[in-house]
Amino acid sequence: MHNNYMIFVSIVLPILAGVLLLVTPDRVFKSRQMLINMTAVSFVVCALSPVLVILRQTGNTLLLFFLVDEIPVFFAVDHLGRIFAGIVLLVFLLAGFFSFVYMSHEKNEKRYYGFYLITFGVLLGLCFSGNLVTLYLFYEFMTLVSMPLVLHTGSKEAVMAGLKYLFYSFCGAYMALFGIYFLYQYAIAFDDVEYQLWSGGYETSRHMLSFVSGGSLDLKAVAESGNTAFCLIAVFMMIVGFGVKAGCFPFHAWLPAAHPVAPAPASAFLSGIIVKGGVLAIVRTVYYVVGAEFLRGTWVQAVWASLAVVTLLMGSSLAFKEKVLKKRLAYSTVSNLSYILLGLSMLNETAFTGSILHVVFHAVIKSALFLSAGALIFITGNTKVNDFMGLGKRMPVLFWCYTIVSLGLIGIPPTSGVVSKWYLAVGCLESGLTGLSWIGPAALLISALLTAGYLLPISVRAFLKETDYEAVRNDYKEPRPLMLAPVVILAAVTLVLGLYPTPLIQLIQSVIAAGLF
Amino acid sequence: MEFIRNFPFFSILLSLGSGVLTSIMNKKTARLWNTFILAAITVMSAVLFVYMLEVGEPYTFMMGHFPAPWGNEIRAGVLEAGMALFFCLIMLFSLKGGQEHIDAEVEETKVNLYYIMINLLLSSLLALIYTNDLFTAYVFVEINTISACGLIMITQSGRTIEAATRYMIMASLGSGLLLLGLCILYDITGHLLMSSIKQSILYVYAQGTYNIPLIASIGMVVVGLAIKSALYPFHTWLPDAYGYSTVSSAAILSSLVSKGYIFLLIKIFFRVVGFDIIVDSKIVNILFVFGLFGMIMGSVNAILEHDIRRMIAFSSVAQIGYIYMGLGLGTTMGIVASIFHILSHASTKSLLFVAGVGLTDASGGSKKFEDLTGSGFRNPAAGIAFTIGACSMVGIPLFSGFISKMLFAEAAVQNSLAKMLPTMICLAISTVLNAIYFMKTVIRLYTPASKKVRKTQAGEAAAVSMREHPLYHLALLCMVILNVLLGCCSQPIVDWITSGLSMFG
Repeated sequence: MHNNYMIFVSIVLPILAGVLLLVTPDRVFKSRQMLINMTAVSFVVCALSPVLVILRQTGNTLLLFFLVDEIPVFFAVDHLGRIFAGIVLLVFLLAGFFSFVYMSHEKNEKRYYGFYLITFGVLLGLCFSGNLVTLYLFYEFMTLVSMPLVLHTGSKEAVMAGLKYLFYSFCGAYMALFGIYFLYQYAIAFDDVEYQLWSGGYETSRHMLSFVSGGSLDLKAVAESGNTAFCLIAVFMMIVGFGVKAGCFPFHAWLPAAHPVAPAPASAFLSGIIVKGGVLAIVRTVYYVVGAEFLRGTWVQAVWASLAVVTLLMGSSLAFKEKVLKKRLAYSTVSNLSYILLGLSMLNETAFTGSILHVVFHAVIKSALFLSAGALIFITGNTKVNDFMGLGKRMPVLFWCYTIVSLGLIGIPPTSGVVSKWYLAVGCLESGLTGLSWIGPAALLISALLTAGYLLPISVRAFLKETDYEAVRNDYKEPRPLMLAPVVILAAVTLVLGLYPTPLIQLIQSVIAAGLF
Repeated sequence: MEFIRNFPFFSILLSLGSGVLTSIMNKKTARLWNTFILAAITVMSAVLFVYMLEVGEPYTFMMGHFPAPWGNEIRAGVLEAGMALFFCLIMLFSLKGGQEHIDAEVEETKVNLYYIMINLLLSSLLALIYTNDLFTAYVFVEINTISACGLIMITQSGRTIEAATRYMIMASLGSGLLLLGLCILYDITGHLLMSSIKQSILYVYAQGTYNIPLIASIGMVVVGLAIKSALYPFHTWLPDAYGYSTVSSAAILSSLVSKGYIFLLIKIFFRVVGFDIIVDSKIVNILFVFGLFGMIMGSVNAILEHDIRRMIAFSSVAQIGYIYMGLGLGTTMGIVASIFHILSHASTKSLLFVAGVGLTDASGGSKKFEDLTGSGFRNPAAGIAFTIGACSMVGIPLFSGFISKMLFAEAAVQNSLAKMLPTMICLAISTVLNAIYFMKTVIRLYTPASKKVRKTQAGEAAAVSMREHPLYHLALLCMVILNVLLGCCSQPIVDWITSGLSMFG
């Protein structure tokens, strides 16, 4: 297999650009506008190479070097990786340009952009990973380099939230590592696969724990050794461990702490993309390493699905009660990620389609929500939900976009949310799990109602009340175009994907057709 | 006989002789001479290592004109040559990294005493690695202890004198137990050369005579060496010794001294008693349990510390617990993992100590965490080096710590369930604990200090620049490269250890 070095370039270029930005002393940038311009150029340049990687159809692997015998640092771009890399790219660019305006109110901008770029590179590495150890490597680095984004403001609250994020993520990663150690002995070695080395020559080698549709575990060996129970425990630990990043109960507590204190574009990135890193890790583990067959009907599936349902309802209820806007959106992320986890736990095609659709849609919608919340905080300085009354008259475009993406999250046609929720609900009903197959759709319905309850009142209060509110008294105007455009684009994407989701669904079907079930 | 085969003998005698010679030198000559000797021995060890890899078989070198089994012998194989090379490199980097501090903290007239101790320590380490005679091993264990004591005590302050006294008492206890064990072994077998003892013990064990004295002597030897290498709960001398001595001493003590004793223990396991008998005697289970305790308790104590040096010292206790857990697993794979962890820990711990001293320097010399806030900005190179060391300790892939954890886990899953489950669980818990105190420290290093603190420190210590301290930065760079090398290119090293271990017995 030929090495595609563009993969390496697309991962390393943003990291290098970020590091360069961090070490350049402040005096090199003569004015803030110069910093912004150079950062904008670097964003665009760094975004080009992943586009090339995503669009290229054949020969998409890269073997860097062997970390230990039989486990290399290996990248392989398949359709699933393309989908995730696509949303990473989209949100990166939009939140990046948004931050140019937003960060003018914050200090230490250069540090923010530097770590933002590095996080982008690491996330691309995560999406393009071809085996479990490479995924784990980038997963750990993702936590490390996104932490400075969380504690950017440097306040005591931000530092505590950053530490909480760090510890929860590390604990989760180590639980997953326990599982990796255990599964390593049962991984099928792929003999006689030819790989190209740096020097240009070819070598055949064995290759462990790589991602193969349908699983790369030697199930016969597992059954023969009699260690099935332990393998199940190991897989469960991996699901829960990676699920910490995806905000699964009972390890969700870092989300509502970390997202409100981060600057709004960082929150968008965190909620939209970084938590999807946890989802990607779970998908790769369950479908590409262990294989769905191994888990179907076992207690792991039942417990996983139950945890997802509990988190679903709990997240929505807590969001309903919450009065700080960004924290409300953080709880909403907890809840929506559990939609995705619920779909994944059903282990059938329809639910899988629904999950991946919801990954894309939620990334777009949640980023739009956080960006609009950021715009509101930037302009008015208020953070509580009830503070935005009557602003709809002053900022119509912003609130229309907010309303459209809210409808998307609730699941009202013609926005995108309805498509993913439909597939999720049908997938749950098809799954054949006793009890959970109807509790799932019921929970989805209740959560949709709660979502309406916590997202729409903001729109309603903004548009329909018109008495003497502070908002109407102050002379607030629409956000600047550079700030407004990302939100508009994301809302437009929500509408378009809701009306015409077919290409995306076909892409996901091709992922499934590669032998996932 | 080829000339290269003399190199182990040359190394030991050269360092021993230069130790004596250093007593008449002044400070600058002593330092230059020490560097020269250390470099020469490193080169010799490297050449020997390459030679041993080619030959692929160990050889014995007769000391003096008395043949075995009456005379003294040293034996060199692939594993010994590589360990000697590695120890020399770590000693070189630690000395160069802490050189300015030696000049600052030790009295002018006593600096050559320091280098005498370093030379003696080097000779004893090399002798422990190469020796094939049990009593010679004991003699050099004693030389090791005394020179380590000298290293701790060379900066004369109340704390170091107390630390050295405590170390002396506990080390003497360990040496005494070791000597008793060796005497009993000599009694039972009638030999002092390791290979001869092994044949005798095989015979004695098969006969079934002297079983209880044999087990007792093994127990005494193991406990004695465990006390000297600071296995929990015999670790109480460690935090004071590492925390208050000069930074080169701390780095060398933590990376090399305790590891020399562990290497001797592995040698006794394989070459004196035989690994099968050791596993049968169930001594390994005791080491396993203590190792697990050490892993957890070392980290717990580190979390409670307010002083960065003592925190790193307690982290050493935890890492030594890892090594003993690997020994306690009772398989070859476990020993391989332990030896790799010796290498990984040596490179990481010396890196942490040397980086740590740079950070404390940039904070007006204070070691307390409150004063270290923001020192990552004041001394950027030390901050980055400390972060890399912390990442390696925590087990982030691409650094050496991850590979050693993976090797331990791999060794554990090959074992029975009774040992595998506690190993995995303790590995996970201790990694989380490690992450707690190391990541907390790294965040503190990069939290900007409050304005008041910044003003007092700007007055005392300006930002450390690379031009002013070239040797320090060079040493840091070399140690970081060594760490990353161990992390990325670990497979050849694991292969080397495995092949060396197979010819070790």
